[in-house]
Amino acid sequence: MVHTFAAIDVGSFELTMKIFEYGGRKPMKEIDCLVTGLSLGADTYATGKISKEKVDELCRVLQHFSSVMRSYKVESYKAYGTSAIRETVNSDILLDLIETRTGIRIDTLSNSEQRFLDYKAIAGAGDIFYNAIQGSAAILDIGGGSIQISLFDEDSLVSTQNLKLGVLRIRERVESLGADPYRMRLLEEELIDASLNTYKKLFLTGTVKNLIVMDDYISNCFRRGSKKNDDGVLSRKEYDALLEKLSNGGTFETAQAFGVPEEKVPLMRISGLLVKCLCDILKSETIYAPGVTLSDGIAYEFAENNKIIKPEHDFEKDITACALNISRRYKGSQSRAETLRQISGTIFDSIRKISGLSQRDRLYLDIASILHDCGKYIAMTDIGERSYDIVMATEIIGLSHYEREIVANIVRFNHSDFAYSVFEHSIDADLGKDGYIKIAKLTAILRLANSLDRSHKQRMKEVKATLSEGELSLKVNTPQTFLLEEAFFPEASDFFEEIYSIRPVIIRE
Amino acid sequence: MAAKKNINFRDPQYYTNRELSWVEFDKRILSEATDPATSLFERLKFLAIVSSNLDEFVMVRVGSLYDMNQAGYDKPDIAGLTPARQLEAVSAALHELVYDQYKALRTKLLPELKSNGLELVKGHENMTAAECKFADEYFRTLVYPVLTPMAVDSSRPFPLILNKSLNIGALVRKKEGSKELVFATVQVPSVLPRVVLLPGSSNLKRVILLEEIIERNMKSLFLNYDIVCSHPYRITRNGDMSIDEDDAEDLLKEIEKSVKARKRGQALRLEIEHRADKRLVSILKKELSIDDSEIFSIDGPLDLTALFKIISLPGFESLKNSPFNPAAVPELPSGCDIFSQIRKKDIMLFHPYQTFEPVVDFVRQAATDPDVLAIKQTLYRVSGNSPIIAALAQAAENGKQVTVLVELKARFDEEHNIVWAKMLEKAGCHVIYGLVGLKTHSKITLVVRHENDGIRRYVHLGTGNYNDATARIYTDVGLLTCNEQIGEDATAVFNMLSGYSEPKAWNRLILAPLWLKERFLYLIDREAKIASSGKEGRIVAKMNSLSDPDIIEALYKASAAGVKIQLIVRGICCLKTGIKGVSENISVRSITGNFLEHARIFWFKNDENPEVFCGSADWMSRNLDRRVEIVFPITDDTLKARLWHVLETELKDNRRAQILQPLGCDYVKEGARQKKAVDSQLIAVKEAVDMAKAATPKKTSESRVFIPKTKPAK
Repeated sequence: MVHTFAAIDVGSFELTMKIFEYGGRKPMKEIDCLVTGLSLGADTYATGKISKEKVDELCRVLQHFSSVMRSYKVESYKAYGTSAIRETVNSDILLDLIETRTGIRIDTLSNSEQRFLDYKAIAGAGDIFYNAIQGSAAILDIGGGSIQISLFDEDSLVSTQNLKLGVLRIRERVESLGADPYRMRLLEEELIDASLNTYKKLFLTGTVKNLIVMDDYISNCFRRGSKKNDDGVLSRKEYDALLEKLSNGGTFETAQAFGVPEEKVPLMRISGLLVKCLCDILKSETIYAPGVTLSDGIAYEFAENNKIIKPEHDFEKDITACALNISRRYKGSQSRAETLRQISGTIFDSIRKISGLSQRDRLYLDIASILHDCGKYIAMTDIGERSYDIVMATEIIGLSHYEREIVANIVRFNHSDFAYSVFEHSIDADLGKDGYIKIAKLTAILRLANSLDRSHKQRMKEVKATLSEGELSLKVNTPQTFLLEEAFFPEASDFFEEIYSIRPVIIRE
Repeated sequence: MAAKKNINFRDPQYYTNRELSWVEFDKRILSEATDPATSLFERLKFLAIVSSNLDEFVMVRVGSLYDMNQAGYDKPDIAGLTPARQLEAVSAALHELVYDQYKALRTKLLPELKSNGLELVKGHENMTAAECKFADEYFRTLVYPVLTPMAVDSSRPFPLILNKSLNIGALVRKKEGSKELVFATVQVPSVLPRVVLLPGSSNLKRVILLEEIIERNMKSLFLNYDIVCSHPYRITRNGDMSIDEDDAEDLLKEIEKSVKARKRGQALRLEIEHRADKRLVSILKKELSIDDSEIFSIDGPLDLTALFKIISLPGFESLKNSPFNPAAVPELPSGCDIFSQIRKKDIMLFHPYQTFEPVVDFVRQAATDPDVLAIKQTLYRVSGNSPIIAALAQAAENGKQVTVLVELKARFDEEHNIVWAKMLEKAGCHVIYGLVGLKTHSKITLVVRHENDGIRRYVHLGTGNYNDATARIYTDVGLLTCNEQIGEDATAVFNMLSGYSEPKAWNRLILAPLWLKERFLYLIDREAKIASSGKEGRIVAKMNSLSDPDIIEALYKASAAGVKIQLIVRGICCLKTGIKGVSENISVRSITGNFLEHARIFWFKNDENPEVFCGSADWMSRNLDRRVEIVFPITDDTLKARLWHVLETELKDNRRAQILQPLGCDYVKEGARQKKAVDSQLIAVKEAVDMAKAATPKKTSESRVFIPKTKPAK
């Protein structure tokens, strides 16, 4: 059975729609791609709102997209807005207006979700990704508002950072200084260099051989024409030559030479500079531009969620890897985190059938276990609140804002008193009832797990859990005493019972 | 090698001016009109074509030179001529051409026509009494009511003389009162037939031109005047329009306006009977602000497109070519499911030798096929009652998504294009009215079909327009394919045309204005490199015109590097052959014949791995830099071989081909007498028929053996 799906990306500089076919001659195939320039970001970043003219144009384009979808008999679609939509002060009103006028519902992606989808798009590009991340590699994901730098080592994500160095943002900022074109270029380079050097000091240790670039600006030049570079891979030397060609000459000539609209040239140059500056810092030798975009990631995720394709790469592992790195940064105990993960995971699995929780919820619990005590880095008092603040201020790639809020609250209530209404402890009302219940359920598990390792000595790491007749038997096989754990267990189990109506009991084997 | 380094390949002396080269082309058409081996009516047709070509040339090219000159633009062209000098040279060449044309008519064609039983009566004075009586009656009943005679005096200004209209100018004098000469004019009505058959014997049919009948009756138009003299005249106006598209809010309206303006452009040519009264000529000269060099004194009938009417007279079958019927396409028997046939393999169509019907059917079947989701097509010039337009409209009514790019800027077709573009819109098609700043000349159709194993795209690519009428006269190549890569490219082409994409890379198609020239230069240069390395470099290219300086320079360099370059260029060719160290390895031939050579085929030897391309683009700057064109590679070996055969046959042609002479811009026919005559067009006709025959299953009734029906297999 063949399915068609449309992925719409309402970006800060362009609107893109890709139509995909699943289950045809290939498992997943892009069959059409429509791109049109519309600089929504320029409005948002400058005024916080999108002008009426641009909203009208946006609606006109979306209506066209809609007619193209109809012509392909598209069965489902997903439309995402990124920073230009996200950062508008009136995004809810705007999105409702667009839906009323075009019938297309746009969801806003948080930065971390967007980057995660971008990252999936790169992974979806296949061999190029797997080859590149075998050694040390970095992904530079360039957007209109910000850039994301993710570092890999031997197939696993080491760190990911968001920097407000998007091409549109840089251009707006430098243009406001009113310099001549030559000085503008110098200013752009200085601005980029300064930010990247700070990044280097904080997050970099060695060199990174491969750089994977994802953007809507310079990547396309890598594969321009079909004669050469159709794999989108350039050596540093080839890249420098490309950048030279891009930077020299007037805007019109460059637009002609690269076959792009004139207004895109300054953005391509900034994007080119970003790649160059990062390459300098990382000392990268090879630059990859798989030429994929957010829309590919949206389609990949759709296919993944609908079990159409089975990803070769474990993306959840990347999310936990990211959380572990955050924990490391705040001097969290790795071994303790490991124990908590294990115990909480065991409890989660044992009550899975009756808990109403999903596999995704297990991931929240896992991350909460990793980050459970990160607030200690700031102060030994009010750990719950401090931990909540850290989690909320730190991006965890792959988690949406909503999901991050859940994790942060689990971490918070692991230490602080549980809030029996959303107004207490100022829980974000956006979480809604479902989110609140989820927090309660997962907090109960984490608290229980935490109580079983109260001494931080990992005595109960090998706990076995069985559920029978309203009791959760936690069997431990250890000759050691665990007085501290026994002292704290009743309180945690009371809360657990309150939530699940199941009484946890410790049984020594 | 050292000498080569010093050659300036852009030296103007290595190039021919494009307008002069065009005049040479019209001369070649004229030479077809004097070729005794061609049937008489065909020759008359060629003579008429010379005239209609000339009209367009004067309106567009001379008009453009005129504008440049008026604007004080004096940059020389690639051949080193400024617009002023070009105007001079072109005027001289045109006078010579027209002289030769009328000489051929008077001395050869008209006498021959008469000896074959058809006489064009030279002037009304030469009619018999009975004929005069008929003519006068004809005038009174049919002509007189539609005439608008106009006299010019102090109260009545000089009237607007319409572009390309035929008129009779007269000097008249009042019978009473002032003896002053007055200029009077009357337009020969275009609504009436130009050629009038006179009654008479059946052995010799006599015809006369309408203007002669009017001239004979001039006195009845100006009753109170004496007619001092009267002569037919005709003017051609500047028809080149330069629309500033950036300023045009609505392109459609702008073109409608500009079509109207064309009727009133500056007069660039006055054709008038050679024995016309000097006083009459001088009035016209003054009123139309025209120079002596722009006046053509004609010894014969004005506007020889009237010959088209003569050759369409009934009878005289022996003087005409036998009617031509395009052969069937073996891969696409009538009534077949065109999509399943394309799925089997790529299909090449060679028009007009093979019928254009499958292309119409392609759109027609798509319009009614329930699995078809969308049809997208570019239309440049279509026929009056186009079945393709009808099919597209039907498709939209059937709920398909139909996108049509209508090129409103197709010269002289604008008015026509606007009408059916509006009609398509009404039917529910998404019509794109061309692109700002670019003419869309590409010929591509995309049909998107929903099949069991997913979306499949069927594409037709061609070198000629989607015009079923001209497809019977123009030689063109078309390709029907469902190759996935071409399908993807086709989708990207339409997204690009509708403003919804900037393609990152093309799989197979090569597009102007952004990528095509670069690719051609690369391909030519590659041959040069191959030749420089001691291997054989070779290029065979067929096109309508060759004028792009960058391409010519690349060809010169390739020739200097030792590449053998054989060009088949029907029309303008700014390249010169036989220049020492520059173009000794280049030969150029032009084929003119019953069919208009229109296909563009480019063959590169590529070190024994030939690459062949077809497309809509000529090697002209306007095609490569200012138009949307598509060139597509032919990759299937059988089809490649077929195209090579087409080129090879044309290279051997010694019947139709004329060879560009070294260092010049004149052409000479190859002497066919010593060799076996090779007429590439005739060969193509025969081969198409043979292919169709070979594919037709023999009818069982022709056999004398009865075939019993057997029990059907279970």
